[in-house]
Amino acid sequence: MEIILGILKGIGGFFAGIPQAIADVFTLTSNVGQIYTAFARWIFILLALFILLTSIRSLLKSRNPSEVWAYLNIGDYMNVPLRHWENVIGRARSCDIQIDDMSVSRNHGTLTRDNSGVWKYMDLGSKNGASVNGRRVRPNAEVQLKAGDRLQLGGAVCTLFPISIEERRNNIQFRQEDTVVASPWPSLVALTVFQIMTVIQLMIGLGEKYNAQITISFLGICVLMWIYVLFLRGMKRRGFEMETIAFFLSTLSLAVTATCLPNQVFKQFITVVMGVVLFFFMCTWLRDLPRTIALKKVMYVAAVLLLLFNVFFGTTKNGASNWVQLGGLTIQPSEIVKLAFIWVGAASLDELFRRRNTLYFTIFAVFCFGCLAAMSDFGTAMIFFVIFLIISFLRSGDFTKLIVILGVTFAGGLMILKFASASYVASRFAVWGHAWDPEFISNTGFQMTRAMTAAASGGFVGLGAGEGWLNGIIASETDLVFCVVTEEWGLLIALLAVAAIVTLSVFAYRSILAGRSTYYTIAACSAMAIFLMQTSLNVLGSVNLLPLTGVAFPFLSTGGTSMIASWGLLAFLKAADTRQNASIAVSLKDKGLGEEVDEI
Amino acid sequence: MKKLEHRAIICLLIAAVLVIGVGIFVFRFVTQGADWATYAYNSHIFANGELISGSLYDVNGTLLVGNKDGKAAWLKDATARRAVAHAVGDSRGNVATGALSAYQDKMIGYNIVTGTYSITGKGNDITLTVNKDISKTAYNALAGRKGCVGVYNYKTGEILCMVSTPSFDPKNPPSAAKAASGTFVNKFLRGTMTPGSIFKLVTSAAVIENYDDYQNWSYTCTGSRTIGGQKVTCTQAHGRENFSQALANSCNCAFSVLTQKVGASVMKDYVKKTGLTEAYDIDGITNARGTFKFPAYEPLSLAWAGIGQWKDQLNPCSMLVYLSAIAGDGHGVEPRFIHTSGSEGKTTDQMIDASTASILRRMMRNNVTSNYGQANYPGLEIYAKSGTAEVGTANSTAWFCGFIRNEGYPYAFIVCVENGGYGSAVAGPVANTVMQKVVSTESARTQ
Repeated sequence: MEIILGILKGIGGFFAGIPQAIADVFTLTSNVGQIYTAFARWIFILLALFILLTSIRSLLKSRNPSEVWAYLNIGDYMNVPLRHWENVIGRARSCDIQIDDMSVSRNHGTLTRDNSGVWKYMDLGSKNGASVNGRRVRPNAEVQLKAGDRLQLGGAVCTLFPISIEERRNNIQFRQEDTVVASPWPSLVALTVFQIMTVIQLMIGLGEKYNAQITISFLGICVLMWIYVLFLRGMKRRGFEMETIAFFLSTLSLAVTATCLPNQVFKQFITVVMGVVLFFFMCTWLRDLPRTIALKKVMYVAAVLLLLFNVFFGTTKNGASNWVQLGGLTIQPSEIVKLAFIWVGAASLDELFRRRNTLYFTIFAVFCFGCLAAMSDFGTAMIFFVIFLIISFLRSGDFTKLIVILGVTFAGGLMILKFASASYVASRFAVWGHAWDPEFISNTGFQMTRAMTAAASGGFVGLGAGEGWLNGIIASETDLVFCVVTEEWGLLIALLAVAAIVTLSVFAYRSILAGRSTYYTIAACSAMAIFLMQTSLNVLGSVNLLPLTGVAFPFLSTGGTSMIASWGLLAFLKAADTRQNASIAVSLKDKGLGEEVDEI
Repeated sequence: MKKLEHRAIICLLIAAVLVIGVGIFVFRFVTQGADWATYAYNSHIFANGELISGSLYDVNGTLLVGNKDGKAAWLKDATARRAVAHAVGDSRGNVATGALSAYQDKMIGYNIVTGTYSITGKGNDITLTVNKDISKTAYNALAGRKGCVGVYNYKTGEILCMVSTPSFDPKNPPSAAKAASGTFVNKFLRGTMTPGSIFKLVTSAAVIENYDDYQNWSYTCTGSRTIGGQKVTCTQAHGRENFSQALANSCNCAFSVLTQKVGASVMKDYVKKTGLTEAYDIDGITNARGTFKFPAYEPLSLAWAGIGQWKDQLNPCSMLVYLSAIAGDGHGVEPRFIHTSGSEGKTTDQMIDASTASILRRMMRNNVTSNYGQANYPGLEIYAKSGTAEVGTANSTAWFCGFIRNEGYPYAFIVCVENGGYGSAVAGPVANTVMQKVVSTESARTQ
């Protein structure tokens, strides 16, 4: 109670002192830079609040409406609406279409719709089989199902009815009504002001360390952002909340790089460009599900080669040899492999019922663990481990299977620990939660205590970009980035950065309700899990609530590969955004709009 | 699809972990941030382990310690540095009541909202009430003897001087193991010592207010008085004396009688009323409370307690506040350590009646004229009481306390010289030197 009163008193005293403080600004100093910093710190917070809250509000307000795509008439009396593009038919309660008939198997078959509106049935090797218009269908093969066709499952007779044109129009109308897309312009203008002001602040804060690279990079990211939005508006896309959040975090990342490594800002900017390009191409590719699935084989091969290359040619840095030196470039293959991991781990409904598909993925996962263990990259191994669990759970949902997987992966985890325990991981566990103890404070707890001291020095508002000292501590631009931001930009902006990641994730979760295919749902959930895991490990690691793992904060941490990978992961989230005309990763035709134009 | 919808909730669990974790951090940040920020490696506010955020000035605006071009700069005069060492403290925090320790937060200006930010990056300036020149005079006057000197303005409460010896150089503090005992204690604020006869000022107040016939009372001192088979002694036989003369003679025998007359419970009340057991909030620093015992059924101990011996332990600062009550209308003035120009001091509760204060003033003046010798305090209208506290076998502690009435210089003082010898002879000259310096210091003058 006393503590809270003390805090309230402090805050009250602070507000009471504002008029005096503003007056003091001009009496205490005539240095233009100091006056600028005094005010700019507050403006940054207002701008950041505006930019992020606009996007966050818009994302959380939108509903991703579930809609009816067709009806399935079962027996004489039942008419079941099909609300997804992928449906399981069977007797089990978990089926999307449940038929209460003992002759129907628990998971009898799947009914899926493709981009062009064609429905297909696939039998899952049911006991009593199925037939279309009297003709027996082979198990595990897709058969086209036209409107009015008679589909017999065991003893149950079903007929597929399309929705009426009227209904389809209503669907589109509802979707448009449910779609809340914030106008991107105010946020973009605010972000541009933010970028310009950041450059000025960095000039003041960095003094002699300031270089032309910084100006060019901030100008570059500003132009990149505007080109991207204008280009996509030209493609009739209206939702830019996720990209705005990503551009905001990338801008902060440039600022962090500028204070920590002033000579690498341009490099960081280039990786933002590469990330945006990758994002755009992934979104475009992901629109078409068969094309996406077809690419899986390539992904497998590429990921395996990348990892092997890393294992044999990796360079050791901070205990983990997860870096590869290619000419003048250093890349972190495991970051890119994350994308492939999701790409191959996500699966459409019919794939989920093929055992071989699961087997390949599990083998691939075990291979990844092995490689990461060999590199003793503990943080990334943890992330892969959790993502594998999540993907497996999403795919099977079967707890007995999950337990087996848990056992296997736990053993894997132990192996990783064993590999690494001899070196730096053990010491990181020892200091966990005890960073302030005298024996650790300037020893293995060095990074965390310095980070927390610097963060506390920044308070809620921060000292101004370039005015901190945490940037001189090893790995501050990656592992301690949350505290660097708190020191220089204030706790509020640092918390907003975390809130942005959480929002992206919550939005991805909500879009599942209208998911078209399990592929997108699993991919989005996995990408979101990676974002959340990395943010948790990074933030909580730097403040000694978790062991320090050296995992990057998505978008925010300096590091080229990590920046590119973050934008790549965002593509999976974007692909799950089913709001009307919101997402580049969803074809306009998918939403029925294209057809409408064709027919009327 | 249906299954997936339910399963995806597991992903939200990770979000919950993140949110809870960040919540814990924010809680710690808010509650412990001030501690985190004030580690000596925080180069926003420290350089080489020395605070560079904020500066301390003496009452005249002389830099005592502070940030000069990103480095900690100290007062140049080494003697003056030692004189203000206990008021200022050192960068290692050896002196708990030193301004550097007590006002670190103020100097840094730490605030959870703005952190360690200050517009010039140099923190906040604090002007203390102490005068470094007067402190230096006091330090020199103590001439290497252990003890303390306190001077404060009994109208505003500002502490002009608090010197404690043995002292040290706060710029290069000795290690705790090497420092002589008591080096890091500000005796004026945190010391409690046997007061000896200066305590008779408290007994006198109790007598005036509780013994109706004190004006007609007299006593014949033979040099000693036997209570329950044991003796209370005086330095000499004072002969016949009235109340005022008894105080001037500092007659132990007479005061033992008076103490017994007013009784244990009244004495107990008066150490409380006069604030001697009080801990004042001196701009965030507290002084030590004095401790006294008045046993109703042990006449000898009670008698000794009434003349400032036995278990009496007095804190010099609280005595100074009582002196301000005598100098004024019976209200004490609370001491202050941070200078604010032109403000009146905060008064305490009524300690003694205004008439009592007036009587005590007359008696204290009489002490000087009839006993200590006005010639020893040239030009000062001084009101005082000396004390010679017997502590164990060693030399006794010499005390001299009082105040001056002088146009523009309302100052009360207390001087304590350990192992010094006879009160007025040893501590009196120190008080004179310091107070002469005070009245010749133009900046100490109040309007």
